[in-house]
Amino acid sequence: MASIDIKGVKKVYSGTVTAIHNLDLSIPDGQLVVLVGPSGCGKSTLLRMIAGLESITDGTIAIDGAVVNAKEPAERDIAMVFQNYALYPHMTVRGNLEYGLKNRGTPRDEIDRRVAEAARILEIEPFLDRRPRQLSGGQRQRVAMGRAIVRQPKAFLFDEPLSNLDAKLRGQMRIEIKRLQRNLATTSVYVTHDQLEAMTLADQLVVMNGGRIEQVGAPISIYERPETLFVAGFIGSPPMNLMPMDGALGAQAFASLDLPSGTDVVGIRPDSLVVSQPQTPSASFSGTVELVEPVGGESHVHMRLAGSSDIMIISVPGRTEIVEGAPMTVYAKAGDLHPFNHQTGKRTDTPAANP
Amino acid sequence: MIENRPFLAFLTHLVLIVGVVVVAFPVYLAFIASTHGSGDFMRGLVPLLPGPHMIENYSYMFNVGLSTAGAPPLSIMLLNSLVMAISIAVGKIIISILSAYAIVYFKFPFRLLAFWTIFITLMLPVEVRIIPTFKVVSDLGMLNSYPGLIIPLIASATATFLFRQFFLTVPDELMEAARVDGAGPLKFFRDILLPLSRTNIAALFVILFIYGWVQYLWPLLVTTDSKYYTVVMGIKRLAATADAEPQWNFVMAAVMLAMLPPVLVVILMQRLFVKGLVETEK
Repeated sequence: MASIDIKGVKKVYSGTVTAIHNLDLSIPDGQLVVLVGPSGCGKSTLLRMIAGLESITDGTIAIDGAVVNAKEPAERDIAMVFQNYALYPHMTVRGNLEYGLKNRGTPRDEIDRRVAEAARILEIEPFLDRRPRQLSGGQRQRVAMGRAIVRQPKAFLFDEPLSNLDAKLRGQMRIEIKRLQRNLATTSVYVTHDQLEAMTLADQLVVMNGGRIEQVGAPISIYERPETLFVAGFIGSPPMNLMPMDGALGAQAFASLDLPSGTDVVGIRPDSLVVSQPQTPSASFSGTVELVEPVGGESHVHMRLAGSSDIMIISVPGRTEIVEGAPMTVYAKAGDLHPFNHQTGKRTDTPAANP
Repeated sequence: MIENRPFLAFLTHLVLIVGVVVVAFPVYLAFIASTHGSGDFMRGLVPLLPGPHMIENYSYMFNVGLSTAGAPPLSIMLLNSLVMAISIAVGKIIISILSAYAIVYFKFPFRLLAFWTIFITLMLPVEVRIIPTFKVVSDLGMLNSYPGLIIPLIASATATFLFRQFFLTVPDELMEAARVDGAGPLKFFRDILLPLSRTNIAALFVILFIYGWVQYLWPLLVTTDSKYYTVVMGIKRLAATADAEPQWNFVMAAVMLAMLPPVLVVILMQRLFVKGLVETEK
């Protein structure tokens, strides 16, 4: 158990390509931090640098207060779960779990005790003497996690561990990982490109883009108050509607509202758009319904704005009476608007102005 | 293809049977010849059934040999061949698996150059470089010795290349997982890469053993002392006796014994061999 401190870390590949720019991040002890971002944003590179599988071009990474830049992965006392599990195919499940402990010279009875305990926690006892290829994807995933648990490391590193599983199993394993992490209270870094996974798992969410950190915070606060246009568009499904203000339509819709100066893009979550006009000041949009996607608990309505080619997505609860091709008007409360400036890519309001 | 045409079935079987007979008949004839007395094959009519002298012929060749043809007993030649073939196969596998490991898993200056240098030697088999190689071996005083028989044949670009290709198919994460698990380079090689290469090693062993066993030109050049004759070159000597009819019964007994070890190796390692060629265990 330990905190991880990343200071001014940089990664440059072959002298020219910069994958990570001067990144600072501190991961508190016992927390599950999720790195999320589109592919190529440097999240896996950062994780591999923490693991010691990738060299650090500049800056320092410290685990439990000690700088580990020059240490081998094995000396950093971390355990990693890989996307393709990376189980040793010629060893039994037991052999896989034991291997790291044996290399460390752990006494035999201690190894047996830990393996038995991990197998019990992960419910892989019946497979202990099988080979990885005789297991299903979900079982292999458990074994990969078991290999991390038995080591009792200072930190767990997860590199997109669920992306090879089918949707149902992924949801199940997500819950198990969270429960496991809660029980063991081991500092964990989790990399994923799936924002649902990121939202549900994280104590701290780190949104990355182009080798930089866009925003760090609790998942809900990031959802409610994205600091940059990138985060606004990336977090949330269906994605936030980002309406440019320079069009005739935008100016008209937001004219009555007092938006901060410099605002030229307004973001509205699909679920904060309502069909009945609220009492408080609001912006209104009308257009025709182009497509209705019923998802079960809610429906996503795609509305083409009148006099424009822009599509707005509205999320309405339950099954809706709205039919395709019908005219429609929706409202958004002033407090639910997210004002941005597209040049700086940042929010234009201050937290106090938008309670 | 599902077809029911009796004539076609008949024809395909006929072709197959003819093919088998064409290949197998000479071997059968050799076996028959090795069981008859010395004069039986000179009478013009070739016998097609085993004769009564089998044990006698074989034990004579195995223990005494044809000293008139300048050949030692077969037991010595078989032993020489065995030493040579096994040393070549084992040596080639050890050298090439280590060099492939270095090329694939380590970054060092001129790595690519090293790989291509090894690869280019594919163009230079023993037969092409035989004179300079002979000169070197003779200058080193290795004529008429096991090292002289073995060392010039022991480097193998083919095997290095095969191991390299296999290592490239092993996922990088396996190496990374091993590093996180505290396995250094040698440990990773021994605990993970070597067991994974098991079937490949077996397949290569079969191929390389036979390669070493059938070497003819090189042993012919570097051995003048009959103590170091290998069986494949020895047979030639047995057949080419001056001023006399070859004693076919003895020659054929030698041929049969020379054929045996490669056949045994293939049969015993067949399961692993096929596995190694067909599937990669992952």
